Amino acid sequence: MNDIFTNLYNKVLGFFRKVEAPEENSKDIACNRLRVVLMQDRTNLTPELLERMRSELVELLSKYLEMDKDALELNLEQDGEQMALALSIPVIRAKDEEEIEAAIKAEKEVKEEESSQDEIKDNEDKEDSEEEEVQESDSEDDCSEDNTEDTKDPIDEELEQNEEQESDFTGKDVKQKRK
Amino acid sequence: MSGRVIVITSGKGGVGKTTTNANIGTALAKKGKKVVMIDTDLGLRNLDLLLGLENRIVYTIVDVVEERCKLKQALVKDKKNPNLCLLAAAQTRDKTAVTEEQLKEICEKLQKDFDFILVDCPAGIEQGFQNAVAGASEAIVVTTPEMSAIRDADRIIGLLEAKEEIKQYHLLLNRVRPNLIKSNDMMSVDEVVDILSAELIGIIPEDTGIITSTNKGEPIVNDEKSLAGQAYMNVASRILGEDVPFLNLEEDTSIMGKMKKFFSSLVGKEQK
Repeated sequence: MNDIFTNLYNKVLGFFRKVEAPEENSKDIACNRLRVVLMQDRTNLTPELLERMRSELVELLSKYLEMDKDALELNLEQDGEQMALALSIPVIRAKDEEEIEAAIKAEKEVKEEESSQDEIKDNEDKEDSEEEEVQESDSEDDCSEDNTEDTKDPIDEELEQNEEQESDFTGKDVKQKRK
Repeated sequence: MSGRVIVITSGKGGVGKTTTNANIGTALAKKGKKVVMIDTDLGLRNLDLLLGLENRIVYTIVDVVEERCKLKQALVKDKKNPNLCLLAAAQTRDKTAVTEEQLKEICEKLQKDFDFILVDCPAGIEQGFQNAVAGASEAIVVTTPEMSAIRDADRIIGLLEAKEEIKQYHLLLNRVRPNLIKSNDMMSVDEVVDILSAELIGIIPEDTGIITSTNKGEPIVNDEKSLAGQAYMNVASRILGEDVPFLNLEEDTSIMGKMKKFFSSLVGKEQK
C-alpha cells in the first residue's frame, strides 16, 4: 500500500520535473554537470571499474529478471548529503519463482556470499509486461534487505552504495562528503 | 614572532591567484602587518609585475637556494609600503630548481621576521604545487564560478586535505558577476560553496579596474573606491580574524544601487 503511494508520488514528481525541464537555465545545467563529474572525480572510480560494476550487477540481477542488458544505465548521483548509485534497467520479464530458485541454487553451489553483498530494492508495478525505462533515481526509500521472495515485477532498481559493494572494487575509498 | 604561512593556489590557471596574492598581501601590509610574498612560479613569474617591482629585482629565490646571496638580500621592498616585501621567482629556470625542503626552510626563516608569508603557487598539481604547499600551514583556494575552475579547485581541495601540514583552507570566489547570477547564467556564490563544501573567505566581483591596476603595477586595494579593492580589503580583515560581512552582490541594494548609479552616469555622459 505504502509502496503504491510512493510510486505515485514519484511519478507525479517526475511529471512536473519533465514539464519544468525545458526551462532549465545554463547555470543549473552547469551545477548538475559539475555534481556528476565531481562525484566521479572524488570516487576514483574509473570508467573501467564502472563498467565492471555494471557487468557484475547485470550478472547478479539477471538471476531475478530478464532485462535489456544493453540499455542498463548506471549513474552516481548526489542525493542530498549522500551519494547514491542510481541504476535504471528496462525489464523485459520478471522470472518466476522456480527460475529464481534454480538460479540461486546453482549459484549457492558456486559461492555463497555473493547475494549478501548487494542490497536490492524493488518497486511494485505491472506484471510480465514489456516495460519502458522509467527514471526513478530519486526514490526516497531506504534500501531494504535482500528480499528475494517478492522480486516479481520490479522495473527499476536503486542500489544504495554501501561499503560492501565498495569492497568489491579493489577497495578504493570513496570520499562522500568533506568536512 | 612566528608568521603565518598561507599558500594561494587554484589548480586552474588564469583564475586570479597572483592578483589575489598581490592584493591580499598589500591589504595586510596596509593594515600594518609585515608581509612577504614568495613567487614560486619559476619560469613564469608575474607577481613582480602586479606589484610594479619588476625593475628592482636583483636576486631571486633560486639565487637564495643556490647560495649566491643571503635571503634578506633577495627580498625586494615595496617603495610605497615598507611593510611589504617580495621574494621573486627566477624567470630562467624551471620548477625543479627549488625543492620542497628548500622552500620549507625559506618559509621557516621568514616566519621569524614577518607576520605573513604569502606563497604564490603555480597552476597545476605537479611538483610546482607540491613545492609551494610544502612550507605552508594554511591555504586559500581561488576559484571562479565556472565549471573548469570549480572542478580544479575540488581537486586541489582534495590534495590539500591529504596534507597534514595544511591546518586550514578557505575558498575565495573570484570574478563574480552579479548580473549574470541574476539572469541565472552564472552559478551563485552559495551554489559554488555548496558544491565544494568549503568555507568561504572572500567574494571578489569582476572589476575592469583589475586590468588598469595591473597595467599600472598597482594592486587594486590601493583604490579604495573600487568594489574589488574593498572585497580584497575584507578578505585581509577576515584573515586577521575580524568578522566582516560578505558583500552581498546578489541582493544588496546599496551595491546594486551603486552599480545602477555607475551605469546611469555612463548613459548620462553619452547623452552629453
